[in-house]
Amino acid sequence: MQTAPATTTGTVAQQSNAFPPFDTATFPTQLFWLAITFAVLFVVLWRVAGPRIGGVIGERKAQIADELEAAEKHRKSAEAAEAAHQSALAAARARAKKAADENRRQVTAEIENAKAATEAAAQDAAAKAEARIAAMRQEAAQHVTIAAQDVAAAIVARLIGDTISPQEAEAAVKASGT
Amino acid sequence: MAMNPMEQFEVKPILEHPLFQIAGHDIFFTNQALLMCVAVAAAALFLTFSVTRGRLVPTRLQSMAEVSYEFVANMIKSTAGDDGMVFFPFVFTIFTFVLFCNFFGMIPGAFTPTSQIIVTLALAAVVMLTVVVTGFIVHGLGFFKLFVPKAPFLLLILLVPIEIISFLTRLVSLSVRLFANMLAGHTMLAVFASFVIALGAAGGILSLLSITPMFMIVFIGALEMLVAFLQAYVFAILTCIYLNEALHLHEHH
Repeated sequence: MQTAPATTTGTVAQQSNAFPPFDTATFPTQLFWLAITFAVLFVVLWRVAGPRIGGVIGERKAQIADELEAAEKHRKSAEAAEAAHQSALAAARARAKKAADENRRQVTAEIENAKAATEAAAQDAAAKAEARIAAMRQEAAQHVTIAAQDVAAAIVARLIGDTISPQEAEAAVKASGT
Repeated sequence: MAMNPMEQFEVKPILEHPLFQIAGHDIFFTNQALLMCVAVAAAALFLTFSVTRGRLVPTRLQSMAEVSYEFVANMIKSTAGDDGMVFFPFVFTIFTFVLFCNFFGMIPGAFTPTSQIIVTLALAAVVMLTVVVTGFIVHGLGFFKLFVPKAPFLLLILLVPIEIISFLTRLVSLSVRLFANMLAGHTMLAVFASFVIALGAAGGILSLLSITPMFMIVFIGALEMLVAFLQAYVFAILTCIYLNEALHLHEHH
C-alpha cells in the first residue's frame, strides 16, 4: 500500500508489485473492509430483508390460496343454485304437463259424453219417427180395407140389389186379398 | 503509450492517512472499500425497502427483490434439499454480495472489488470453513467418509488421496474462477479502450478505424454483464453443492 498520491501512469505507483492484485501490502485493508461489509450485509439480509421478503411472499401465497378457496366455494354454491333452478324448472314442467294431460282427458271425456248423448237423442227420435210411420202405415192400410169393403158393398148393392153385412164384405175383401 | 490496463486493479487510498492500525497493519479507506460499502449499502437498502407488505401485485423493484429471494431459495432446495434452507441467509448474502460487487464494478471508472484475489479467496475460505464446520457438527468424525467413495479397497488407495486433493483445491478453484473472470473481462475492456484512444490519436485513416475497437467494447461490455451475473450464480450454486455434501455426504436425494 503506497501512501503517495496516485499517479496516472501506474508504473510509478506499482512500487511493491508489478501486478496489483498480488500486492500483499493491500491485503490487510482489503480483508478488513471485506469483513465489515460482508458482515453488515449478512446481518441485514438475515435479520431484516430476508424475513421481510419471505413474509411478503408467504402472505401473498396465503392470500391467493384463500381467495382461490373462496372462489371455489362460490363456484360450488353457484352450481348448487343452478341445480336447484334446473330441478325447479323440471318440476314445473312436469306439473304443467300433468295439468295439460288432465285437461285434455277432461275435454275428451266431455266430447265423448256429448257425442253419446246426441247419438242417443238422435236414435230416440229416429225410433219415434219409425214408430209413427208404422202406425200411419197401419192406419192407412186399415182405411184402404174399409174403403174396399164399402166399395165391395156398394158394388154388390148395385149389381144384385142386395145389401151385405160388413162382416161378409170384410171376408170377401180378405178372400180377394192381396 | 501511457495507459496500463492493470492500473484499474490498484487498491488506492482515498484518504491519504491510514484510519487506524490492526496488528501493526495500516488500514486505509480505499477505492475498493468505497465500492464495497456502496454495493453493500445499495443491496441492503434495495432488498429491504423495495418490499412492502400487503401488495398483492408487487412493484417492479419489489418483484426483482422477490425473484432474487426465490432464485436463491430454489437454488438451495434443488441442490441441498429442504434442510439446506438453514444456510439461506448465508448463501443469499454470498450471492448478493458477489452480484452487487460485480455489477457496481461494471460502472465505468469504478473499482471492481471481486477482481482482487484476496477478496475472492477470503469468500471461498468462509464457504469452505462453513462446509467443514457443518460437516463435523452434523456427522462428527463420520464427515471423513466424504473422502471415501464406494469402491473396491485397492482402488481406495488411489481414490482417497484424489478426493482429499479435490476437496482442498475447491478453495483455489472457487476463488480463482471469480477473480480471473472479473480480472480478464475488465482487462480486455481497458485494452480495447486504449486501442480506441491510440487509433484515434494516430490520425488519418486510422482515426476512422478506431470505431472497430469501440464496437468491441460495447460487445465485451454486454458479455461482462452476463459474466457478472453468471459468476455470482456459479459462486452461490457451488456453495450450495459443497454445503449439500457437508449435510448429506455422498447420498443423493
